[in-house]
Amino acid sequence: MSQRGGYLLRKVGWALVTLAVVITLNFLLFRILPGDPATAGVRDPRLNQAAIEDLRARFGLDKPVILNLEGGNPFDTQFTAYLAALARGDLGTSFAYRDRDVSELLGEALVNTLWLILPAEFFAIVFGVALGLFAAWRRGRTADVASVTFSLFMWALPIFFLGIILLIAGVTWFDLPVAGRLTIGAEYASLADLAWDVGRHLLLPTLTLGLALLGEYMLIMRSSVLEIFGEDYILTARAKGLSTYRIIRHHALRNAMLPMVTLIALTLGFTVAGAIQVEAVFSWPGLGSLTVNAVSDRDYPVLQGAFLLLAVSVIVANLAAEVVYGWLDPRVVED
Amino acid sequence: MRRSRIFPIIGAIGLALAACTTPQSSPSGGGGSSAEPSGGGTATGGTVKIGLPGYPDYLNPGLAVLAESYTIYELVYDTPITVTATGEFVPKLATEWSVSEDGLTWTVVLRDDATFHDGEPLDATDVAFSIELYRDTVFPLLTSYAEPFVDVTVVDETTIELTTVDPMSQPLFEGNLAAIYVLPEHIWASEDPLEFENAEMIGSGPFTLVEAQQGEFVQLATNPEYWGTVAAIDGVIFQTITNADARITALTNSQVDALTEFPATAISTLENAEDIVVNTAETPGGQLRDIFFNVTTAENCPTAEETGGAAGVCSGHPALKDVAVRRALAHATDKEQLIQVATLGTGSQGLSLVTRSHGDFFASEIEDYAFDIDEANRLLDDAGYEDTNGDGVRECLPDQDCDDLTFRLNFPDDSDTAPREADQLGDTWSQIGVAVQIQGFEARALTALCCPGFDYDIMIWSWYTDIDAGGLLAVATCEEIPSGFNETGYCNPEYDTLNDEQAVELDRDTRIAQIHELQQILIDDVVYIVPYYFVSIQAWRTDTFTGWIEGTPTIGLEDPTQLVVLRPNE
Repeated sequence: MSQRGGYLLRKVGWALVTLAVVITLNFLLFRILPGDPATAGVRDPRLNQAAIEDLRARFGLDKPVILNLEGGNPFDTQFTAYLAALARGDLGTSFAYRDRDVSELLGEALVNTLWLILPAEFFAIVFGVALGLFAAWRRGRTADVASVTFSLFMWALPIFFLGIILLIAGVTWFDLPVAGRLTIGAEYASLADLAWDVGRHLLLPTLTLGLALLGEYMLIMRSSVLEIFGEDYILTARAKGLSTYRIIRHHALRNAMLPMVTLIALTLGFTVAGAIQVEAVFSWPGLGSLTVNAVSDRDYPVLQGAFLLLAVSVIVANLAAEVVYGWLDPRVVED
Repeated sequence: MRRSRIFPIIGAIGLALAACTTPQSSPSGGGGSSAEPSGGGTATGGTVKIGLPGYPDYLNPGLAVLAESYTIYELVYDTPITVTATGEFVPKLATEWSVSEDGLTWTVVLRDDATFHDGEPLDATDVAFSIELYRDTVFPLLTSYAEPFVDVTVVDETTIELTTVDPMSQPLFEGNLAAIYVLPEHIWASEDPLEFENAEMIGSGPFTLVEAQQGEFVQLATNPEYWGTVAAIDGVIFQTITNADARITALTNSQVDALTEFPATAISTLENAEDIVVNTAETPGGQLRDIFFNVTTAENCPTAEETGGAAGVCSGHPALKDVAVRRALAHATDKEQLIQVATLGTGSQGLSLVTRSHGDFFASEIEDYAFDIDEANRLLDDAGYEDTNGDGVRECLPDQDCDDLTFRLNFPDDSDTAPREADQLGDTWSQIGVAVQIQGFEARALTALCCPGFDYDIMIWSWYTDIDAGGLLAVATCEEIPSGFNETGYCNPEYDTLNDEQAVELDRDTRIAQIHELQQILIDDVVYIVPYYFVSIQAWRTDTFTGWIEGTPTIGLEDPTQLVVLRPNE
């Protein structure tokens, strides 16, 4: 087997082990918390004991959690039921949205979240990298100070606060919508109309998330480029009389991107789980909102599903980062 | 977070101000409501947009617990009886009802001109089917309204007879029927009521469902075939805007026409904005803030067998079982300050488990514990609680198994104002030598501590009350201790007997007297301190639509009465 093949296999193997641990912890975590999903904090004179018992039985919550020690089949438990269903790709049915499959709920929310985070990530990566490069190139000058200050400000600003400021400004001055993905009940004459409507709704949340991510990307990119600029081979390139553009393009960029790849992979993995605060401000029905609601409803199946999705996306993003690493810096594969 | 603003049905039926209450009511009328629309005109059309903090949890009426769901049901479905803004029960699908001599059989006459949205006629069989469906299915809330009707008989196309085992007071009967959303038998008969999604929502109400997007919006259209007043608007959109600031911004920028819920801090902003009216009033039934004490004793601490789960912990502070201590705490509670802290002055001063919106049932003659630190100190001095070690906290009595009057004070952390209320209580209570350890819990964790676990000393929480004044009084009965519905462990046979009597009392005046007496007992024994009743705050734009109803004792601008009289502003 080639060196690269072995490297990949090792990485995939570890990713699978991580996943198995996550699945188990995922199951146990929610069940050691206090509270009962059947009653879910309902303070209502009309919810009687029989109704509660019925809810428990319907969701299988009357079974033992891990091992059945009270006679009968020792594996007739909530955990084995969970594993068996997972193997079939069945994430169960939501407690809170009783008529919905978890996979279906997660799928819809994931699509909405991707709508939001992909443009935001794209915006943040392009402008963050460009601004970082630019600031490093103009190091110490006004442009550098200005972009560092701007990025630090964006990075430090709580994202929900940035969101509310942008929301009030965008709605008041530019008549952008406060919430939603499309105008409710609208009929579109053409694809362009639809695209325009989508764009208007996406602008504020995307800008919020994009700006928040941009600050971090820019700062890391800048320091990474500056570090590379101090390397001997850059001095050599300069001595050869290469233009700044050629130095950046052919010598600095690829090396400077290494820490960026880690950072982007990490944030991408986590933002898949939902840009929770942005979703909350803009009433965006994505994974973040779904997860937050599931937490307050103690909706185990949705939470397990969401956490599994989060774990998978982080693991996959890391795996992707390792692969890109191997391509950017072949030495990694040889180690 | 949506949390779970659990909305008992009682509140829901309360919001159902009568759309068109009698066949004779005038076309522009607000049914039984005495209030007149604030504007007028003959224009029609336009879709009203209302911003909501949440989204309906189910389109299937049996399954829902959230307020947003009942808002939709009230518009899409009809009930046999409904309740007005002034708390009166009035006809809706039923035109008249009466009870037999023995008080056990109710005869209900229904109107003959109602049809479902799919064109099928609505008759007595649908009403009977619905009552039986709610009764025989284990739904979280609605089942309890149909349960008393052990026998449901269709007499003819417009008459049904309902039989109960025990006599039922008239308001209780009417309240039960106000919660029966009549479902079409031809659709529901072949479905499993617990699994049915009800995506089409075929009802007979003044609005029909156009589209519902989970977590985003519900769009309704005016039902032009409605038997009652047909709305002048084209329809209504309920848009979910979770963030409060975003909701306010949406209203000030005309992206929505009305808001049903927003923080009191925004009142002044909106009152100063152009073309916006802010309206505050109690909701029917109402919601109250309660501070309650763990008074469980070793004798009535629930066993595992009784609770059907874990046995009660019953770790309540021994000194709280002494009524003198509870009275002192009541005297040291500054209700006005709490109203300021929690509601910016919008709340109304509380008394007990019956609210002002219950009208005559509210015992206004009872004298509450005045805020009086000296009196509170005197009560504790007389009872023998002294601060012997000079640490500022009074010591327990020798026969009590505790060191001093330091109490755990817990509250649900989904309440924005509870932490400040707890601080405020700790502040005034410290002036009488009482210390508190303040801690908030997530609502489910708090439930686990509360009841029937009884693993706490004092809690701050809130209740939605029933539209019927007697609805919440059962929380103080002995038999509800194992279920955890009784959250204090208070047990007083005299109270229980009186509560049983009022539940079946047919004479209104007698029942009023009984319910006043129950409130007096609760005040005397200080099981609860009720600092205030919540009011609802709503706001709307006057430049887009006119006809908003103001000046009613209770409000619900998303209810049918309101929506049928709205007209676009030209």
